[in-house]
Amino acid sequence: MRLITHNMLQCHVKGCNANNFPLELQEVVLEQEEAEMNEDFLRNMLTKIEYDALVATCLKLDINDLPATIPADAAYNDEFLQILHRVILETHIKSGKMVCPNCQHNYIIRDGIPNMLLAEHEV
Amino acid sequence: MTTKNPLHIPSAFQADQPDMTPEEKEQQYVHSVYQAIAPHFSATRYKPWPVVEEFLKTMPVGYVGADVGCGNGKYIGVNDKLFMVGSDRSSNLISICSERGHEAMVCDGLALPYRSQFFDFAISIAVIHHFISPERRVAAIEEILRIVRVGGRVLIFVWALEQTGKRDFDKETQDVFVPWALAKKPIESKKSSETKKPKANSRPQGVKKKDRKNKNGDSLAAGQAAAEQDEAKDNEESAAVVSVVTDALNKLTVQEDHTDSQGISRIKDNSLQDQSSTATDSHSSSPHTSTASSTTATATTDSNQPNPEDTPPTAEAAAPVYNRYYHLFHKGELEDLVLQTNKASIVQQGYDRDNWWCILEKTRHE
Repeated sequence: MRLITHNMLQCHVKGCNANNFPLELQEVVLEQEEAEMNEDFLRNMLTKIEYDALVATCLKLDINDLPATIPADAAYNDEFLQILHRVILETHIKSGKMVCPNCQHNYIIRDGIPNMLLAEHEV
Repeated sequence: MTTKNPLHIPSAFQADQPDMTPEEKEQQYVHSVYQAIAPHFSATRYKPWPVVEEFLKTMPVGYVGADVGCGNGKYIGVNDKLFMVGSDRSSNLISICSERGHEAMVCDGLALPYRSQFFDFAISIAVIHHFISPERRVAAIEEILRIVRVGGRVLIFVWALEQTGKRDFDKETQDVFVPWALAKKPIESKKSSETKKPKANSRPQGVKKKDRKNKNGDSLAAGQAAAEQDEAKDNEESAAVVSVVTDALNKLTVQEDHTDSQGISRIKDNSLQDQSSTATDSHSSSPHTSTASSTTATATTDSNQPNPEDTPPTAEAAAPVYNRYYHLFHKGELEDLVLQTNKASIVQQGYDRDNWWCILEKTRHE
């Protein structure tokens, strides 16, 4: 699972509607894997990404490359886009877990695959 | 109901099982089936349907999409200028998807784990028909709409009741069991052991075999191997299928198509001799292992060869058969469900490869 995907996820346990994002990554094993850069995608992503959550998540993983705030010219700032690309698209979470800051539900990541299934009573 | 149908023939689904919740039914008749047949199933899914391919290829560069019920992820790589995330209930299918390098996760279609309005588009191909009630089918559509932004488009495919190609379904019976036969062993045994199998159309076999080897259906190998049997694939759903009804049996006999290596041939044979073997115990555990009847079919095929042409002797020696639940959509039904959500308009709709499909545009988010 790439870091960009983590930025899309929220806790979806029934009734857990507030403070359910971002899920807190714990006991994480990371892996870097090169990927082709797609500027259009990154620009589109800038409109969707929760940047503060991304930066905070990265800091906890000792990834310190991203500026604390998005550059004003982010969409056409090559240097920034390259960092962003490396962080959100080339950084994979191979294993670990994601914990909801609100209800503490644990979502396990194994072999790079998050299991987001809930028990029946949680749906 | 289906007492006269041999085990392999699609049968009417008994909706009336008060002791089971909808979740339990879907677990038993859908989720656990896909878990069990994942590698084989995956090997038969490699060729993109044209409508889906077109939809994906016309998306603007850089768009972000969700494939809800992505299976082995065959659509995720269709347009590499997009970023797509796949999800499925089956962890076995998701493993295959992930091994192919796609973003993939395990989750339920009624409780997607994504932030609302995140995606520019979504697809749900051959998924909604597995939900067991109208309410759940609408809820599934609503959940997909939730994660797509206003103005975003969603492509949905569901199996059609009116299909006339490989099989005729009883137009009165929308809720059915469709068998999937695992033909693994047969292949191997056939090859190595005894008799020659008329090569007829044994795509599934070839595919499967490869797939087997790769354990999880390496896309390349499987794809290649399967290259020849591609069409079969489209009718994929058809692979093991046929009609639900009894009168359909007659029609089957007349069928010309050989594409369905698994179901059809067997059905023919079985319709004649399997009556006894096993009543469709549609309610028992999901994986029905109907070794007996399969065997019978095989034997017959090999020895008698009643109709060489449409009798692909594909029948597997001891192939487990799994019944999957389907709700077959009649014309206009999918659109009705979409409009019930009150959150989307229908941009385009059509019929293709035994499926009704429509493209919706999200009009509002509440």
